[in-house]
Amino acid sequence: MVLSEWTGVLLFFIGGLLVGGGAIVTSYLIHPRRIQAQKYEPYECGVDTIGPTWVQFKTSYFLYALLFVIFDVETIYLYPWAVKFQSLGLFAFIEMIIFLFILIVGLWYAWKEGALEWK
Amino acid sequence: MNVDLSLLAPEIALAVLGLGILVLGLLIPKGSRHGLGWVTALGLLGVLGLTIAGWDNQGTLYEGIFIVDRYAIFFKITFLTAAFLVTLGCMRYVDEMGDQSEYYSMMLFATLGMMVLASAGDFMTLYLGLELMTIAFIVLVCYRRTETRSVEAGIKYVLLAGMSSAVLLYGLSLVYGVTGSVTIYEVGRAVTTEPVPALILGVAMLVAGLGFKISAVPFHMWTPDVYEGAPTPVTSFLAVGSKAASFAILLRVFIAALPGLWAHWTMLVAILAAVTIIVGNLVAIPQTNIKRLLAYSSIAQAGYILVGLVTASEAGIKGVMFYAFLYVFATIGAFTVVTYFYNVTGSDEIKDYAGLSQRSPLMAAVMVISMLSMAGIPPLAGFVGKFYLFKTIVDNYLWLAFIGLIMSMVSVYYYLRVALVMYRDEPVDHTPISLSGPVALTLIITMMATLVLGIYPGPLSEVVNTAAHSFFLP
Repeated sequence: MVLSEWTGVLLFFIGGLLVGGGAIVTSYLIHPRRIQAQKYEPYECGVDTIGPTWVQFKTSYFLYALLFVIFDVETIYLYPWAVKFQSLGLFAFIEMIIFLFILIVGLWYAWKEGALEWK
Repeated sequence: MNVDLSLLAPEIALAVLGLGILVLGLLIPKGSRHGLGWVTALGLLGVLGLTIAGWDNQGTLYEGIFIVDRYAIFFKITFLTAAFLVTLGCMRYVDEMGDQSEYYSMMLFATLGMMVLASAGDFMTLYLGLELMTIAFIVLVCYRRTETRSVEAGIKYVLLAGMSSAVLLYGLSLVYGVTGSVTIYEVGRAVTTEPVPALILGVAMLVAGLGFKISAVPFHMWTPDVYEGAPTPVTSFLAVGSKAASFAILLRVFIAALPGLWAHWTMLVAILAAVTIIVGNLVAIPQTNIKRLLAYSSIAQAGYILVGLVTASEAGIKGVMFYAFLYVFATIGAFTVVTYFYNVTGSDEIKDYAGLSQRSPLMAAVMVISMLSMAGIPPLAGFVGKFYLFKTIVDNYLWLAFIGLIMSMVSVYYYLRVALVMYRDEPVDHTPISLSGPVALTLIITMMATLVLGIYPGPLSEVVNTAAHSFFLP
């Protein structure tokens, strides 16, 4: 019984090593060796880059997207609640108010920190 | 719908506190937010009191998806204690970083995630708590956003957290696919001793996914880099809180949901524990940066705690809980010293700790006591914790107990190396380091707790006993 427990673990490790190591070894053995300068480019088959490629993008895009997602998600939750409003009653109403309140705090925070201004 | 909200009171209070800190930050002008640390600390103390007051108030909510048993409450007390001590010790560091309100509210939301995780009764709640915790930590890890190291740590943490979440979700979905339920105790009833291969694959993925979170050894590569790059208070909270929360859910999933497969995962967990203990301790030896040293030591500690899972017994759970609780004090003590030392000198290198015993006897003493506790030297708390953990495996896994014993001896070497630098070497700069009030308080609390729990572990042991017992009463 002890032996079979250990065998499983052993096979697990051997299998993992074979799959990982096998791929590397095979490609090392059979790959053609033609060394050119282009091979060392990050994207071998693209167009040569002009100027420095490490440019910064404007974070305002990201912030807008983030705020959009917040209200997108809010709407998803509001619809089913609105459809079933009559049967859900007061408890769900208070719950939804709390949910909206948390989102509004988030919007307030984003607004105050200047996420809505395009600088 | 009838929901007993008193069971949820600590979580609600913490969420309100987190939002409140964010709103306070909006109302108070940028230069005068120093008081927010105290508001956070006192608030956490209040939530801690509320959690302890609910010790006798057990139950489940929403048809079992949220479990409030003493096991969960004990872990919540652990997280809140950790959050309180970290907040108390980090105020000056945070003031220097700036943006206090966001920092403290993220910290509180991370704690909230841990509390949800400890109470999770089904896989959805589990994932919700895990992500709440992880996303808050991602923000915290790259908080010093002008520093390359911190940003690098943040990116590594994002990628690894994403990957481990994906693996975990695959595992959970496989378990759901086979058993047809996402509720942990129902899965436990559905899983039989004759497993299908898909279930075994799911279990292996769960081990891997949660292995990332507890930084068990083949899944530990992110730990040293992230621990080194993150702001030091975040590192200490990551080492204590995130790890304890992941252990809480690891135990819940494996012992409550997968006891039928015990024979299949016990050996895997035992080997992971052994490898983690060995690698963590051996790689810690050559480290020259104190945060990296503590990172590897925390990997080794995760290995020790994992030992408690091997037997899947009440005694094992007790060992894990006891160790997780005292580990809070040892780790936060050590990291608070590192935090304050960095504030004063701007260095994390071990060689700069030379002569710390002359510059600040309290800091040096806390560092040594914390480290010796982690090494498991009696009469400190770490010894008792290791005793409870290894007692459970002596009968069936003597080899694992031997590995733990030998590696504990190895760990004494690198812990004492730091002590030697602090006590033997002459300081380059003789100016004494004066401690601020809250930092001194944190250091004294952690030191006293480590000493008292080691000399007189009886009361805590009783508490842990009842908590571990509640685990087996669904």
